[in-house]
Amino acid sequence: MTTEQPVFEYDRDIIGKQFELGSQEITRERIRRFCEVLGETNPLFTDDEAAASGPYGAVIAPPGLVYSLQLGQGPDAKVVFGQATFHAGERAELHDVVRPGDVVTARQQIKDVFAKTGRSGTMVFVVRRTEFTNQHGTLVAAVEQSMVHREVNRG
Amino acid sequence: MVEQRYFEQVDPGDEFEEQWTAETPQVAAYVEMNMGGAGAASGRFTSQEGAESVGMRKPIVPGVMSMCLLTRLVTDWMGPQGKLRTIDVDFRRPVEHGDQLRALGLITDTEEQDGAGIVKLDVYLENDRGERPLQGVAIVELPRQ
Repeated sequence: MTTEQPVFEYDRDIIGKQFELGSQEITRERIRRFCEVLGETNPLFTDDEAAASGPYGAVIAPPGLVYSLQLGQGPDAKVVFGQATFHAGERAELHDVVRPGDVVTARQQIKDVFAKTGRSGTMVFVVRRTEFTNQHGTLVAAVEQSMVHREVNRG
Repeated sequence: MVEQRYFEQVDPGDEFEEQWTAETPQVAAYVEMNMGGAGAASGRFTSQEGAESVGMRKPIVPGVMSMCLLTRLVTDWMGPQGKLRTIDVDFRRPVEHGDQLRALGLITDTEEQDGAGIVKLDVYLENDRGERPLQGVAIVELPRQ
């Protein structure tokens, strides 16, 4: 049996190039607002007094606040395939805590572009890795996001 | 009420859950807070009109917002001294506004690594149609008693 390689185009030169997306100060107010919107009740994120006697000596940002940050446009692999794009997956690694007043900088690269063919047809995956560092240059989190391009059935 | 959980207290097979209804005002507040610059591209998350313009029957919840709710499930369960190391989520189908969801955690493994208590969990969102729009795995470090 022969497997026909799916045909799709993309910008191969973009793979592995780092792009700085921008920086943002994570204020105490930003943490408070995130907790309010997401319904966070863990005192580590919400209660200054309780968090003062906790493991970090103060309130910290919930992990989701960091991977919700959208600090700018990332690289574009210029994939030419299909008519629809979906968010397929997200993997977050939490390396260190983010405290009020920390300035977080995001850098992003496209790690991989590849095709898979299954029962529902061919899909092209674009995997982006975003690394978040604080003002000391310490890696606080990294997120790998998979977007999928696919053809839409028009039957 | 969030309480501290210890490594010695957990076993594979233990389950826990939280309830969540994806209400439009909450989704709109999240989009405004995090995607303020997304413009028309964020319409599918906030309005019926925006959803229909991209062929969706109802507005949907941003994938990362749903992931934040699964993260909250885990951080609430582990307590202030727990550490979330990784969370890895697959988005299998959209979460629509108005969906009544259960966020569920199932402990699949516990092991000691260099003195640290490491717990592996399956996490997922289940909607009121019996579907699992998000499914993933989290790795947590819990304190010892």
